Amino acid sequence: MSPAPRHGRGRYDVIVVGAGLSGSLIAKELGDKGWRVLVLEAGTGTLDGWPGHLDALDTFYGALAKVPNSPYRPNAAAPSPDVLDVTGLPAGGYRARGYFVQNGPLPYSTDYLRARGGTVLHWLGLTPRMHPEDFRTRRTYGYGRDWPLGYDDLEPHYRAAERALGVAGDAAEQAAAVGLPFPDGYVYPMHAIPRSYVDDVFAARLDGATVREAPGAPGTTLRVTGTPHARNSTPDRRYDGGRGYRPAGAAGLPNYGERCVGNASCVPICPVQAKYTPLKTQATWDRRRVRLLTHAVVGRVLADGNGRALGVEYQEYEDPAAPVATTRTAEADVVVLAAHAIENARLLLVSRLAGHSDQVGRNLMDHPVLLGWGLARHPVGPFRGPASTSGLESFRTGPARRERAPFRIEISNWGWGWPAGSPGSDVARLLGIGAGPAQPRAKGVFGARLRTALGEEIGRQVSVQFLMEQEAEERNRVTVDRRHPDRLGNPRPVITYDLSERVKRGMAAARSVSEEIFRLLGAEDRTAYEPGPLSPGYFRFEGRGFAFNGAGHGGGTHIMGASRGTSVVDAWQRCWDHPNLYAVGCGSMPSMGTSNPSLTMAALALRSSERIHRDLTEAHRPAAVGPLSPEPVGDGRTEGPA
Amino acid sequence: MSTLPPPPDALAGPAAVPARVEEPPFRVPRDRADLHVFLQAALTLEHLTIPPYLTAMYTLRPGTNRTAFYAIRAVVLEEMLHMTLVANLLNAVGGKPLVAHSRFVTGYPALLPYSRDRIPVALRHFGTAALDTFLYIERPEYVAEPPGHPSVAGDTGWTSIGQFYNTIRTGLVRLAEELGEAGLFNGDPRRQVGPEDFYNSGGEVFPVTGLASALKALRVITEQGEGVSRTVYNTDDQLFGEAREPAHYFRFDEIRRRRSYGPHDTPASGPTGPALDVSWEDAYPIDPEAKVTHYPPGSAVRRAAERFNAAYARLLWVLEAAFTRDPAVLQAAVPAMLQLRDLSVQLYRNPHPDPARRARGLYASATYEITEELLGEARRSLPGGPGTTALPSGTRW
Repeated sequence: MSPAPRHGRGRYDVIVVGAGLSGSLIAKELGDKGWRVLVLEAGTGTLDGWPGHLDALDTFYGALAKVPNSPYRPNAAAPSPDVLDVTGLPAGGYRARGYFVQNGPLPYSTDYLRARGGTVLHWLGLTPRMHPEDFRTRRTYGYGRDWPLGYDDLEPHYRAAERALGVAGDAAEQAAAVGLPFPDGYVYPMHAIPRSYVDDVFAARLDGATVREAPGAPGTTLRVTGTPHARNSTPDRRYDGGRGYRPAGAAGLPNYGERCVGNASCVPICPVQAKYTPLKTQATWDRRRVRLLTHAVVGRVLADGNGRALGVEYQEYEDPAAPVATTRTAEADVVVLAAHAIENARLLLVSRLAGHSDQVGRNLMDHPVLLGWGLARHPVGPFRGPASTSGLESFRTGPARRERAPFRIEISNWGWGWPAGSPGSDVARLLGIGAGPAQPRAKGVFGARLRTALGEEIGRQVSVQFLMEQEAEERNRVTVDRRHPDRLGNPRPVITYDLSERVKRGMAAARSVSEEIFRLLGAEDRTAYEPGPLSPGYFRFEGRGFAFNGAGHGGGTHIMGASRGTSVVDAWQRCWDHPNLYAVGCGSMPSMGTSNPSLTMAALALRSSERIHRDLTEAHRPAAVGPLSPEPVGDGRTEGPA
Repeated sequence: MSTLPPPPDALAGPAAVPARVEEPPFRVPRDRADLHVFLQAALTLEHLTIPPYLTAMYTLRPGTNRTAFYAIRAVVLEEMLHMTLVANLLNAVGGKPLVAHSRFVTGYPALLPYSRDRIPVALRHFGTAALDTFLYIERPEYVAEPPGHPSVAGDTGWTSIGQFYNTIRTGLVRLAEELGEAGLFNGDPRRQVGPEDFYNSGGEVFPVTGLASALKALRVITEQGEGVSRTVYNTDDQLFGEAREPAHYFRFDEIRRRRSYGPHDTPASGPTGPALDVSWEDAYPIDPEAKVTHYPPGSAVRRAAERFNAAYARLLWVLEAAFTRDPAVLQAAVPAMLQLRDLSVQLYRNPHPDPARRARGLYASATYEITEELLGEARRSLPGGPGTTALPSGTRW
């Protein structure tokens, strides 16, 4: 390989489709090893740089609904799904508009973002590791799919991801409370984000208490446990054998955002960028090797008759409002799809690739979220700090998994922000503004009375979020249909989605646990699930009503497995059918497990980058003269290109 | 130092006599006690710039002049870093930083100390007058040798801040030779503020434990402000492995001239980079000599101004406790500073209650009048106030 690679010749070592979390990490690793990388991003680069960040903040501050995509401008050339696309009907059921075409019994009401930086721009930033059990539920509990690799295989990559993202946490607490194995003496790069006052209130009443998820069921002991975050906190001097860690500040403004200062808008945007986003990784790309092209919508992957990927075809547009595009191609030795679970599946389906197992687009999963909310007797100081700093981890594991979906419980620091749109909805209600524009305005309270009333009510809001593990089901799927194109003519995703009986049983158990939690807190349980415009996820189960929300944790659509006949990618996230085509991200996950998935996705991406590096090194090795050298052994690390 | 009594209700005219900061004698510090006097003076000096810089920052109309906002914010945080580093230095040589004292906060306007020229430093709104003062404060210029050097034999007083710091440097080196490094740096290492105690801008807080770290602290203080000779940049990249940024003088110069420095610009070339969006109109004009007594008793603005000064007095106590007892207390300074930010909104966004001043388009402002009485009250309000609940148990005040 040439020691001085140049761009602009249309041929690269690697093409990465998508400048989000996985794509940015892979581009970083491969660029640092000397490979020429082209990153194609369908969205715009508006968010790059400090002025773009400030513009997104303004858009967020001005948005009426502070939903995850609210800071980010709409893009007709690369549309994104939005949680507002799905609305509930008065008697149950839902209506879907926007980018997705939906035809399932229940709505898939989870979003993502097609822009430079990807969906991780609006994530909350929680980075728990998956539990070792999560990798082998079929063997252990007889449901779902097993991973072709285990926690131990991924453990070094978890550590690498925790460095790349800059994780703050308490490894000793994670080991003791969750049962996660860590290497001896491991500490996270930064000390844990401090517990909120809400967490302390929960801990005072819940720690050591035992709850039953059904009458007669075995008791489960509660323990409020801090959650690791990819958010800047105090660096731990002990990290990395005493070398410590330097927090990565804001992308675009030097010496800023080096600590979380509790702004409490992590979702959808951290004003100071103390929260990790892929823009921080992109700022460290070797610019001689990694070239980013935004406004480039990849329409399909090009492959030859033998199944080798040759490159991609993409549409380059100028104006996201009035998309007019020019079609171009780019070629590379390796193509990496890192465009989000649903976009990756869409690309493979449109390209008619990786289809041997008939699993592309199937097994769509999320962490369906059930919310519980209540009113505490005393002020708990909500809306301070990150949305959640602690959780209850005891329902993630154990034999109950045989019968119902396991779940992770997040203690919310943001009052009824998610369940009821607080505090904006509280202000509107007290001002006498009704639910719809047709309703006449009632008499409101103003001035000091308004402030007092708000303080009394909002200050006592508590809520808990139950993230249910959803197992892989082939019927939950993404397909494409030429009759539903987007503005550039690319077929939109058609989604068929439902919840299994397992998940619904898990939600019933979670509902009982929620009631127990509020009883222990001495809080008035205000949880109510009713059909209506804000409850598209309403359903009835065993005589009771439930409403669930999407978590934004889409996965499973190019599922990983141990054999070509039953899965799309192998343990390296390499398509079984195409040795030089990778599909990376949560779409590879055989199970969503019981933790927020981004850290695991990052660990998988870093692991794949090692394999891609090896593939490229082998492909570029000079022809051997004389005896062949043995295959690489161990973890297969080989020399990089000169 | 002679703090002038605040003029009663009278409108302080431009002829008001500026406060004068007490300067140490014009000589190289001779012994440990002398060094303590010099370092305490340096601590006072580093603080002197903070209220004027905060005033410029808080008078920006929200959402406007963003480049200027982030530039001033970065500078004012670096001044806080300098203050902390001087406190570390003073602690390292066995001194005791004094912060919560009425002598520590100069009345404004004050004369810029250690200067050849008579430069009044006032609390001015964001604008050309404020920036011209800032540029003077941070100006890189020929730095005269410390007192005693033949080249300054004719001088009887300080000619620049740089000379003052050079003199401290000379004194430190000399005393380290006389007393031995371990002898000079005999302070309690538990008083040292470190990176774990929070900081959020260029450079880093680090403990001062010997001559090398002491000299590094002095380098940070002078080079973040003025840069290094013949460049517009500071040395954060060399000292901390951080991004290189223009030194304070050049950041202010960028705003003043509404144009940024490019990578190849020099102090001589001036800024030739892209134009900066600076709007002098998007600031709240204020009376640079505003006093609390100018606001009608009982008015909302008066209450906010009094609370601002009380909160500032409390902040000084928090800092003093952090510097003299337990560095962990520093985290309580964060809510204390946020309180100042909230109160500033209640001041600068309100037109001045005095009709004459309002007619001139002036707005209310914070006055930074810190009296012994105020400090006494603040001292009593310390435990249990904002930011104290999160302190580690056993934190001493």
